Amino acid sequence: MLVFFLFCFLYKSRLSLQYDHEKISERHTGQYYTLPAAHIQKLFPHGLPPRFQLQIKTFNEGCVMVRPPALELISYLKKADYSKPPLRYILYGDVGTGKTMCLSHALHYCYTQGWLIVHISDAHLWVKNCKELLPSSSRPSRFDQPIQASQWLKNFKITNERFLSKVQLGYVWTKRERTEKGQPLGELVDQGVNRMKSSSDVVGAVLRELRLQAGGATEGEGAFKLAVAVDGLNALWGKTSLKKEDRTMCEPEELTLIHNVRKMMKNNWSGGAILTALSQTGSLFKPQSAYLPSELLGEEGFDNMEPFVPVSVSNYNEKEFESCYLYYLDRNWLQHSHSRSEEGKKELIFLSNKNPSILERLCAFL
Amino acid sequence: MCVSLSLCLVRWSRYNPYYLDPDPSKDARVPESELSPEEKELQELKTVSPIKAALSSDTSSAFNDPLISKFINMMMQDGNKILARGIMTQTLETIKRKQVEKYHKSPAAKREEIECNPYTVFHQALENCKPIIGLASVQKGGKSYQVPVPLTDNRRRFLAMKWLITECRDNKHRRTHMYEKLSQELLAAFANEGNVVKRKHDLHKMAEANRAYAHYRWW
Repeated sequence: MLVFFLFCFLYKSRLSLQYDHEKISERHTGQYYTLPAAHIQKLFPHGLPPRFQLQIKTFNEGCVMVRPPALELISYLKKADYSKPPLRYILYGDVGTGKTMCLSHALHYCYTQGWLIVHISDAHLWVKNCKELLPSSSRPSRFDQPIQASQWLKNFKITNERFLSKVQLGYVWTKRERTEKGQPLGELVDQGVNRMKSSSDVVGAVLRELRLQAGGATEGEGAFKLAVAVDGLNALWGKTSLKKEDRTMCEPEELTLIHNVRKMMKNNWSGGAILTALSQTGSLFKPQSAYLPSELLGEEGFDNMEPFVPVSVSNYNEKEFESCYLYYLDRNWLQHSHSRSEEGKKELIFLSNKNPSILERLCAFL
Repeated sequence: MCVSLSLCLVRWSRYNPYYLDPDPSKDARVPESELSPEEKELQELKTVSPIKAALSSDTSSAFNDPLISKFINMMMQDGNKILARGIMTQTLETIKRKQVEKYHKSPAAKREEIECNPYTVFHQALENCKPIIGLASVQKGGKSYQVPVPLTDNRRRFLAMKWLITECRDNKHRRTHMYEKLSQELLAAFANEGNVVKRKHDLHKMAEANRAYAHYRWW
């Protein structure tokens, strides 16, 4: 009976919790809130974990669980002073505990508040398996990644469409192309998308312009807050698996994209926030047991990122597990008759140790 | 992950016929009062006679399904049980995803007809693939004839599984994954369509056509 009432409570609150971030508070931990489909299309063309994207397709809706790390992050974002340099937040935790989902939740908050989003969905994709590695057109010792850069610019365009015409550029200079003062950002982005060869330099130029302008105008149309979100932060200071033409290993500093993102991570600008998450799953040459910032970032990364606000993400507690279980029951996902019984639930707790990703994979075939 | 090092090979390959099969399920132990006299005899026998060693793939959990285990064993190549089990779980997941997606997109009236449980889909599909009657080759007077013959349950189950697996391995596009091919074939068999059910019907038609030779069977 108790389970039935709990089910009704959670079900009703799931329906009524729209994306109103003003109303979501600590009372709502464990409950699901629905991401509107339009927002998912715009904000996350590339940001969500692949299994979550499958889940959205299957259930015909995208529901995210409200969890304490995400609420903590959002409360810091609400209270921060944006005239000062940006605070750096690092989400860390064991494999599969929900760091990317918490980051996506916080990013959705920023989107609903009208911030400009710079979202690098997985920095590991820029340090491994790159098919084309061109020597840079602007600097002799750098390497460009045209495919990755143009893909990122396309996604940036989809997410920040409303800002592309509003943000005016200062005098931007890349070696071959110059953009005059007063032209909208959209033109620069289009240039980068159309001409693949210079797309990495365009990415650098875009990031620099946004850094300069984020804290600039305090009122009027030009004002915006900048949210820089990087998933897989440890890729920026780790090793790459890319080789140069003389078959020596490439260092991350020699890649234009990585170099520009590293400059973004410094807190020498104002008017925004830097949200990041570590990730062991895509990382290169790191043991599977490593999850703390000092282990994954290494000495260089840790020194660069200090000082930062660490936010720890852990497995589900009992209330959250209950909520996840009831959500799957409600969406008709748990089909096996034994999984719907009390003993089956205990088995699921035992097998998954309340780890969100393992639970999801278990329930997938049960 | 090296499997052979972690497994301790306890089970023999040949057992004396009086060895009993292990029953790992939790319902195996039933209190004495609920048993009929024959079952009480069986229970007595269990206390006295030796029992074979349990397979490492059997669990006491209620999620353990003997039919699915048998199918995994048939799919397994070179002893790579992990890969075979992975393919099976992915197949079940794909079947469930397709059905649940259909369920959520359909109007409330049609929702009850859609079967979302991958296990019932699998069992029903296998039932639909099982042939009722088979053919055996009998030599008479220097010539061999295809004689219609009844099949045992085990043989029927074996044939259904074998046809499913060979159909998916041979007759599908090279670049699709096994779990995709299997899920498509199982969903088709569930609806009594697809190549495997066609093969079963062909076998039935051949048996019907060779009715005249039925009395060549002497067993």
